[in-house]
Amino acid sequence: MDRRSFLRVLGLSYLFHRWLLRDLAAAGMPVLAVAEGTDYGQITRRAINALGGMGRFVKPGQTVVVKPNMGWDRNAEQGANTHPLVVKAVVEACLNAGAKKVKVFDRSCNDERRCYVNSGIEPVLRGMKGVEVKYIADERFRKVPIAKGMTLKEWELYDEALNADVFINVPVAKHHGLTRLTLALKNVMGVMGGNRGSIHKKIDGALADINSVLKSHLVVIDATRILTAHGPQGGDLRDVKVLNKVIAGTDIVAADAYATTLFGLKPADIAVTVAAYKRGLGEMDLKKIRIIKA
Amino acid sequence: MKKFTSARISQLLFLAIFLVLFLMTEYRGSDRIGVAVNAFFRADALTAVSTLLAARGWVPFLLPGVVVLILSALLGRFFCGWLCPLGTILDLVTGRIRKTAPLQWLKGSVKYWLLLPLLVASLFNLNLAGLLDPIAILVRVLTFFAHPLVGETARSGWVGLYRIIGERRDVLDPGYHLLKDYLLPFRDTLYPLAFLSALIFLLIIFLERFETRNWCRNLCPLGALLGLVARLSPFRRVPAKICADCQSCRDLCPTSFDRELLQKEECILCMECQLHCPNQRVRFRLAGFHPADGGVVMERRVLLGGLVGGFFLAKLFRFRDPQAQARLLRPPGVRSEGEFLEKCVRCGECMKVCLRSALYPALSQGGIEGLYTPVLIPRLGYCEYNCTLCGQVCPTGAIPDLPPERKKREVIGKAVFDKNHCIPFALRKECIVCEEHCPIPQKAIRSEEVTERDFNGRPVTVKKPYVVDELCNGCGICENVCPLEGKAGIEVFAVKDRTPLREGETGGGEMIDDPYS
Repeated sequence: MDRRSFLRVLGLSYLFHRWLLRDLAAAGMPVLAVAEGTDYGQITRRAINALGGMGRFVKPGQTVVVKPNMGWDRNAEQGANTHPLVVKAVVEACLNAGAKKVKVFDRSCNDERRCYVNSGIEPVLRGMKGVEVKYIADERFRKVPIAKGMTLKEWELYDEALNADVFINVPVAKHHGLTRLTLALKNVMGVMGGNRGSIHKKIDGALADINSVLKSHLVVIDATRILTAHGPQGGDLRDVKVLNKVIAGTDIVAADAYATTLFGLKPADIAVTVAAYKRGLGEMDLKKIRIIKA
Repeated sequence: MKKFTSARISQLLFLAIFLVLFLMTEYRGSDRIGVAVNAFFRADALTAVSTLLAARGWVPFLLPGVVVLILSALLGRFFCGWLCPLGTILDLVTGRIRKTAPLQWLKGSVKYWLLLPLLVASLFNLNLAGLLDPIAILVRVLTFFAHPLVGETARSGWVGLYRIIGERRDVLDPGYHLLKDYLLPFRDTLYPLAFLSALIFLLIIFLERFETRNWCRNLCPLGALLGLVARLSPFRRVPAKICADCQSCRDLCPTSFDRELLQKEECILCMECQLHCPNQRVRFRLAGFHPADGGVVMERRVLLGGLVGGFFLAKLFRFRDPQAQARLLRPPGVRSEGEFLEKCVRCGECMKVCLRSALYPALSQGGIEGLYTPVLIPRLGYCEYNCTLCGQVCPTGAIPDLPPERKKREVIGKAVFDKNHCIPFALRKECIVCEEHCPIPQKAIRSEEVTERDFNGRPVTVKKPYVVDELCNGCGICENVCPLEGKAGIEVFAVKDRTPLREGETGGGEMIDDPYS
């Protein structure tokens, strides 16, 4: 191949590639991939692949933080924590994309040792090379100024989440007493330090503030089973509904907006979603979101 | 230090087992703890006898303690010379402490003055044995003082390292975690009474200045009890008297040969005299039954005084401050305060094992009679819903070992809102962090949406929480997580009626309707 034809191929492929991407993104519309099936590892992989694969987000040698919900001393069936198989599939995808290290943690509400074990997440990741499942260490919270903060002007956030090259937000979709639902936007509370309960006074604005400084590069919402009442920790299997779904996307507001519909609610019903949308963190109008069945 | 005799090897082995068991008395990823340091208490004759006296009935898992007592009646005080970890520690340090003359006032009846009132108080439903039990003294100094001290020191070093080198500290992570997993306490909990616990232990060490095994021969109530039954033992040393021509035993014997005749209730069977007898005269052998040997046990006035003392002890220290009673929360499964005081030996194991560091030794909450008994302080830690560890390690069943499904229904107290503090009431702002954390599947804390005006006159809708009394087990997580500083907006108060929640109220079974809706 001579230089000219090489350049031509290069140029064409560049354009072609961009078209493909744009096609995928449907002229700027946020894309969500929704996969359904009973093999939770497989549907997670399918949803990520439909977005272009983990290679789009994770480059070789990078450090990735995967942040599930594992804040409650409940087992996988009870739907209070992200399903371990979904977490495992995300972690594996990161490793396959060449991640140097994948860190999985949560600032739990119940005893961290029990949460890590009972959620099934630590056992399922045990022994995997390049994966770190550590407890939160208080000294690692760092005060971060929130330049555009409207409710919070600064807050302590976890340094490993701030320093990671890629932050992947992997919440479980569930009911919440105060915010009605807790999804990806609220899942970042797990990297907040200090007296985080105090943000409940104005939680929608506070979560928009935090999400404006800690961007989720990829959001994978576990809706394999959802907790429809008595959230966020449930405990009664009659409140758990099995949907066998996983939603993946890069627009955190869009992902939350779509997940809201699984509960028979509208995105506008959730104040946290609305606040984040108004802050420009993403799209909540379902008509302006492209949904791919993966 | 002495050479490695059989007794010394046994001592070191049991001390090692004791320390390993102490470290194992912690959650390690499994709901059940296989073995814990309670094994030593189960073999502790003093706590066994005092608990049996207080319970006035048979408690099956105290069998090992009774077995030790019977064995002591056959062999002598082997427990003291071969097993007791406190005795071993004394043997290890005593060589480094220069001796002055023995304290004469400690000789004689002091140990009975301690032992008898403790046992008699048990008969009057107050189990104080653990206060002076050597194993309990050791567990408490480790739990409340030594372990937190080591943990605090290691952790502050580790945090300091982070402040200096930041994330690069992660290189050392595996090493620190090994330390953290096996040696250090999981949480950096500080305990009240840490100072007193350390003081008692150091005092026992200090007593070594006057003679070897000073505590063991003159004070220890467990030793005194074992000594009493050891007098019956047919297993004895010959010659019983010190030999006029040699007298080496005076130096060899750690406990009893400061007099002419071997004091059987003080002999700890270390066998040093037999091993080192220059003339190979000394033997330990079965010599039949001569309970009358060794002179009087104690004078009549000691016996009577001890009995009366125990009676007074059990009756006169019953005063309790009613205000402190309101917050006297006992571990889960304890239904009656009276029964608890009969069985609790104040060993500190429940506090050591508590997952959330919710249990603390009582200083004054339970009156003088409740000193060192465990109290749940929700603002510092709450009772973890699925955890049953305290019941598992309790050596006397004062905290019952219940399966998780039953433990969840046990009532510790009841939560009550303080509307003058609680944010939705006092500030008319959203909160309900307590409701979020309430572990009862049907939620013992619920909320109603109320539209009212805020203090600027603007209409606001606020979720106002309330407690469903029938569902609350008093675990205290609500009080623990309340975002208010200092005093919480919801507090758990003790209740007399601790009837467990009905089945079904903790998930599974039929759904209980909200009694208020």
